[in-house]
Amino acid sequence: MTDLSFDATAARSGARAVFALAAPGIPFGLVLGLAVSEGGLDRLAGWSSGWLMLAGAAQLAAIDLLVDGASAGVILATVALVNSRHAMYSAALRPKFADAPRWFRLAAPYVLIDQVFAVANALEDVPLRTRMWHMLGAGGVIWTLWQVAVGVGVLAGAAIPDSWSLDFTVPLMFGGLMLLSISDRPGVASALIGGVVAIVARDLPQGSGLLLAIVAGMAVGGILSERTERSGATRP
Amino acid sequence: MRIWLILIGAGLITYLTRASFILAGDRIQMPAWAERSLRYVAPASFAAISAPALFGEGGFTGVPDRLPYLIAAVATLLVVHKRRNLPGALVVGMTSLWLLQWAGL
Repeated sequence: MTDLSFDATAARSGARAVFALAAPGIPFGLVLGLAVSEGGLDRLAGWSSGWLMLAGAAQLAAIDLLVDGASAGVILATVALVNSRHAMYSAALRPKFADAPRWFRLAAPYVLIDQVFAVANALEDVPLRTRMWHMLGAGGVIWTLWQVAVGVGVLAGAAIPDSWSLDFTVPLMFGGLMLLSISDRPGVASALIGGVVAIVARDLPQGSGLLLAIVAGMAVGGILSERTERSGATRP
Repeated sequence: MRIWLILIGAGLITYLTRASFILAGDRIQMPAWAERSLRYVAPASFAAISAPALFGEGGFTGVPDRLPYLIAAVATLLVVHKRRNLPGALVVGMTSLWLLQWAGL
């Protein structure tokens, strides 16, 4: 039986890796908290969306719809659609954690938000124990920061001037993550297709344009990489 | 009470979406083409999340109005590309955005 007990070094390295990605989440959390208080929602319930969902975009969509008085069905369908990319994150991480114990495979998905996926997905060729605690360390940091940021936003978000455009750090961070996640030419193509389709399809209802863009980008990446391998022309 | 029920439902949906494949583990076998495409989840989704927000509501036709934002984005991406340093790149990007806006661009 392999030793999978708590690995402080791995947890710390995961925490450090995600810390840089967590900063842009702070203005986003503030904006979210602000939407709760300005929308006149129950503050405790609105803040609790943070630990109940631990999501950025889907959580904001749910809060906006609650403020607009949308039906439960519309809200839940929107959340499912906006979060559907996480099923693909789950599928991408599956081989990395197929040998992990059940408690881990039950607990880890709770913290599988975009930044944690980026951190967990980037770690290759290390022992399972390191991979597990690296991901949980990253998740723990981002969980804590998110609850604090949303809480501050609920209570005091209105104090930050709009003119600072702090929410622009969110797309900047995802742009940076995109670059860092590209390791070959099909990766470049999948990013280009994903970005262009997302812009063209941005007005499709309830964020379905995002899903379409991701699937298109993945498909192009997959097809191109198969073609490169088959032609035997794999260049470094 | 209604808001709590809806948010608990939203939390469950979110968790189940993320747990789906990780929880299934070895019990499912993905076809080779799917495994191959899944290697590109990260670049495709991070590009798809960022691009519309970088270009703004006008999309490609809104470029002239978004110049400070797009220049700031290019600066950020250049720093990430050269230095592999995301926090530093974000500082550079936001600073250039504020300078460009201050200069009235």
